[in-house]
Amino acid sequence: MSKTVLGIYDLSEASFSTGACLTLSDGPLELGWRHSGLTSDFIAEAMSLPFAASKTLHANIHHSIGYLSNELIENAVKFRQPGNIIIESCIALDVFMMRVRNEIDTDTSARFQLILAKMLSAEPGELLIQQIEENAASDATGSGLGLLTLLADYDARLAWVFETSGKDRVTLTTTASLALPLSSNG
Amino acid sequence: MEIRDENFRIWAENECVYFDGVLRLAGPDAYAPIYSLAAAALHENNGRVIFDLTGLEFLNSSGINLLAKLTIEARKQSDVQLVIRGTAQYPWQSKSLPNLKKLFPQLDLQLA
Repeated sequence: MSKTVLGIYDLSEASFSTGACLTLSDGPLELGWRHSGLTSDFIAEAMSLPFAASKTLHANIHHSIGYLSNELIENAVKFRQPGNIIIESCIALDVFMMRVRNEIDTDTSARFQLILAKMLSAEPGELLIQQIEENAASDATGSGLGLLTLLADYDARLAWVFETSGKDRVTLTTTASLALPLSSNG
Repeated sequence: MEIRDENFRIWAENECVYFDGVLRLAGPDAYAPIYSLAAAALHENNGRVIFDLTGLEFLNSSGINLLAKLTIEARKQSDVQLVIRGTAQYPWQSKSLPNLKKLFPQLDLQLA
């Protein structure tokens, strides 16, 4: 069993002992695109509740958690192989953390690791503009902007763990963290 | 012309295209009809064309790619002045719309 870690190693090891754990079960739910929006709305609502006293603060935190959750779950739904999607999320001090685990095939794993290596070797803001220009000049079927917008526009921290889990199967665990703007001016 | 479902509505009136609601479609193919509607406004109007996003509560990254592609389309047309009207009320707009200015510095980005 091989294991590859990309991104921020400490984040990949972070504990989620106090938080919410949701499993989107393959089969009974007929997992599809709309589950990402529904699930990220739920996570954003539940996790931003402690900040409801301040309208501006709540709107910012609700949005940032919603955007991050939606992008990570969209990726899981889009690229997964049959199997459950396991989602953990928690707030520790002033940081929101989220972890999404799903199965992918080995080709997807290899392609994704190459994309990540490129993404992690450059300045995300510059890479975002470069990717947008490339998308406009091609008929790409995906935008590839989800992770780049999280890094460039939301200052998210990210880590990915790829673990071989069987023939043509890799378990991908994505962990992300966001510093919460705890002042309403933030 | 109008494109809508239970979560969003996009429609054109004269030189203005309005985007309302929550937009999180699955990728460039799913956004293609919206791209066509907004690109038609860029091609059929001379002078000012306005994309009004003040009612667009949420946009996923594929939708941000759509806005970027439309901005690049406007950049190619020297007779069009693209105005993007947004609001700081929805946090994604303050975070992601300034990137469009990097693509096209002549874009008139109005974030109220």
